[in-house]
Amino acid sequence: MKRFVVLALVLLSVVGAALTATASTEGKLLIWADELRTTVVTDLAKEFTAKYKVPVEVQELGFGDIRDQLAVAAPAGKGPDIIVGAHDWLGQLVTNGLIAPIDFAKQKDFSPVALNAFTWGKNLYGVPYAIESIGLFYNKNLVPNPPKTWDELLTIGRRISDKANKKYGFVIPQPDPYHTFPMMSAAGGYVFGTNPDGTLNPLDVGLNNQGAVRGLELLVQLIKEGIMPTGIDYPTMMSLFKEGRMGMIVTGPWAIAEIREAKVNYGFTKIPMIDGKAPRPFVGVQGFMISSFSKNKMLAKAFLNDYIATEATMNALFNKDPRPTAHLALAAKITDPDIIGTFESANAGIPMPAIPEMASVWTAWSNALELIFNGKMTPQKALDEAVVQIIATIKGQ
Amino acid sequence: MKKAAHSTDTYNTNHAGRQPVKAGLMITKIILLGLLNALALWAIPILWGDSQWILLGVLVIATAGIDYAFLSKKALPLRFMLPGLLFMMIMVIFPIGYTVYVAFTNFGTGHILTKAQAVDQYTHRYLLQENLPVYTPEYYTDNAGQFAVLLTDPDGRQFVGYEQTLYSLAESPLELVDEDGDGVFDKIGNLGRLGGLEVFSYLGQFEKLVFQYDDHLDNRTDVYLKMRSMDQFASYVPQFEYSAASDTLTDLEDGTAYRVLDGSFVSDSGETLDVGFRTTVGWRNFTSLLTNKRIAGPFWQVFSWTIVWAILSVVTTFALGLLLAVLLNDAKLKLRGLYRVLLIIPYTLPAFISALIWRGMFNTEVGLINNVLGMSIPWLQDPFWAKVALIIVNLWLGFPYMMIISLGALQSIPTDLYEAATVDGASGWHQFWKITFPLLLVSLAPLLIASFAFNFNNFSVIYLVTEGRPAIAGALTPTGATDILITYTYRLAFEGGSGGRYGLASAVSILIFLIVGTISWFNFRFTGALEEVNDNG
Repeated sequence: MKRFVVLALVLLSVVGAALTATASTEGKLLIWADELRTTVVTDLAKEFTAKYKVPVEVQELGFGDIRDQLAVAAPAGKGPDIIVGAHDWLGQLVTNGLIAPIDFAKQKDFSPVALNAFTWGKNLYGVPYAIESIGLFYNKNLVPNPPKTWDELLTIGRRISDKANKKYGFVIPQPDPYHTFPMMSAAGGYVFGTNPDGTLNPLDVGLNNQGAVRGLELLVQLIKEGIMPTGIDYPTMMSLFKEGRMGMIVTGPWAIAEIREAKVNYGFTKIPMIDGKAPRPFVGVQGFMISSFSKNKMLAKAFLNDYIATEATMNALFNKDPRPTAHLALAAKITDPDIIGTFESANAGIPMPAIPEMASVWTAWSNALELIFNGKMTPQKALDEAVVQIIATIKGQ
Repeated sequence: MKKAAHSTDTYNTNHAGRQPVKAGLMITKIILLGLLNALALWAIPILWGDSQWILLGVLVIATAGIDYAFLSKKALPLRFMLPGLLFMMIMVIFPIGYTVYVAFTNFGTGHILTKAQAVDQYTHRYLLQENLPVYTPEYYTDNAGQFAVLLTDPDGRQFVGYEQTLYSLAESPLELVDEDGDGVFDKIGNLGRLGGLEVFSYLGQFEKLVFQYDDHLDNRTDVYLKMRSMDQFASYVPQFEYSAASDTLTDLEDGTAYRVLDGSFVSDSGETLDVGFRTTVGWRNFTSLLTNKRIAGPFWQVFSWTIVWAILSVVTTFALGLLLAVLLNDAKLKLRGLYRVLLIIPYTLPAFISALIWRGMFNTEVGLINNVLGMSIPWLQDPFWAKVALIIVNLWLGFPYMMIISLGALQSIPTDLYEAATVDGASGWHQFWKITFPLLLVSLAPLLIASFAFNFNNFSVIYLVTEGRPAIAGALTPTGATDILITYTYRLAFEGGSGGRYGLASAVSILIFLIVGTISWFNFRFTGALEEVNDNG
């Protein structure tokens, strides 16, 4: 009997869940947002509902889950109208037919780099709110004046590094293409070349050109001189920096909260110039997108144009999660030097390629970095091999 | 079945004298069954309407099955099996069937929609005609599903858009009424005008309205009026036309025809439209796995390490677990309970966290292990040491399980065997190898084989500790020295091409199943693990 009751309940709940799953329905907005954005958007949703008498529901999902769940839910008619996401999902979302272009009226209020990142073909697919990239964190107790050039970085590194006492001058996470790219791009390395029409050409991979190799040779020099330890992953790097055993590290504004909490006397600035050229980090942009399966595209556009794309909302989003805002007027008012620093380096950066072929790049690239950092191969040879692998992988799809 | 029939009889005899209870049960049963059936009847039309055929089938079969099991006396054993069967259907058979199905499709990035959905997206792509006039709309509804718009062009000409047709004011089938005389029509027929913010509640309906140009506007039948924003209707031309007869999409701007090829729309010059659809591709996923040089290249290296890894994982954890179990089983040992608890701790910690902590400890420069040893072993950077590190982590994670099952199995060995052996003068060493070990193997062999199969696919430990690294220099495909088949194929499926190749991933998992299944089958045959052992017991 008991089993039967349990069974009946289970069946009931299965059927119930299948029938009541929320979905985009006409006259009601459903928004998927991650934890930090949910609180801000929920308040806006209440205002919107009060004014326009349109119910708005905000569901909280993990940031990465939003992309994965959308692919399942939207085609089944159970998806949201608006999602929060990152610009580098664009290629995947567009080729999967999951997001719709946005007719965005307030483009002039936003950073061109951010809007560019959310543009695919001729269309804009997102309303950006944050733009970020990596820079140089330095411990002011060890490095009173941050280096402006790579030579200065070398001098400071040599002064600080003391391998016996586990003190190091400089480190980047390894093997981590994202954190290595600024050094490779300074002198001309790139991931994908550009077609005449401005789109990316996945078969033109510039990760083994002279500039890219030059950047890695500089890093290998740091390793050889004992300034940069090898085999350091991101968590290890962070803990070394927080313990005050690391002079300079390369990472992004997401680490600020953690570093402040550890009471490190830190500074944040741009990565020093290499051969007189500025390193160009990857830029990541976060924003709001509209599902192509939405039955309320006009309503969603109205919500994004009138409620999300305002200085007040952008400010609320910024206060919740202090990543550099993509809103120009708000960015101009920010006094926090860290944020100004990231904003500057982001504006000098290159949007991370959003084409789906980027999936073929990461492993080959990080394998090459690993072989280089571990001294198993020269930068030129390892990168040549990586590019062969990448192009073969892309062609072989 | 014999046994089941027998217990049915017992059940009936036992309850023969307790009629009132039985009647009460009967009533509850009927009420609950009635509720269940009512629920099913309520759900059927909804599922039907939603075209959820699989769910509908499951619902009907499950309801019928439950009814039969609980109403037929003959089906009594079924009552106890049914929950298990249902869950097996939902959680085992369905995923397996689905995996097999997906293995024969191109499901993955760029191919997740159905063909109808993809075609629908293309035929709903419109290009804005900025050179054509825009219209200012007024919105009307009767609150009962009827919608109309009144469009005014820049010259002040007005049109009524109603039921997909555009009418001039004179031709309008519905009468336009200006009740308060303010120059704005308050009603079109019995559809009332929506003022200001009221429109928002109906935007989803109004955005669906599309009106074809006709002689009222320009005589151009290829242009459509559609909502561009709240306060604007604009002219659009469709970008594509789909012909079901020839199964082609035609770009209306330049006339290029895109034909269906493997779930994509491809032009004669080889250009592929961005959104594709999912479709079956026959054995392609399998053949590409077996014939593609890039994939087949590092296969044997990965495969042999997978075998070594799975064997070593089982042997090391079992050896340590058994050793500790034998020690803990010794009655002379004091504080046995305490040791037991301490030794089980690794098992209770989430493997996810332990693995990451181990990874930190193995760091060459700053890791705890090298610091304590005073050495600088390149744990995670050298292929050999990375493998050693993995075995150590897996040993830490896996020995408590082996210890627990060995402890259990040790209890089941009759003590008189040892007494007899002691009388015969066998040493402890001899007793272990001649009595304990063979008898343990009898009961533990199936578990060891299961453990082998598990470690064969132990994705999480590999991925969390080494990510399959260090890299193999000169491989055609990015491969790591500690990649096992499952991590390697994960990369193929999700970090190659444009990522997310579910079809390929499913094909791989079927192949891995075949490999593991074959090895396990030989193991079972060879060890006789599943045969009846204690016929006399």
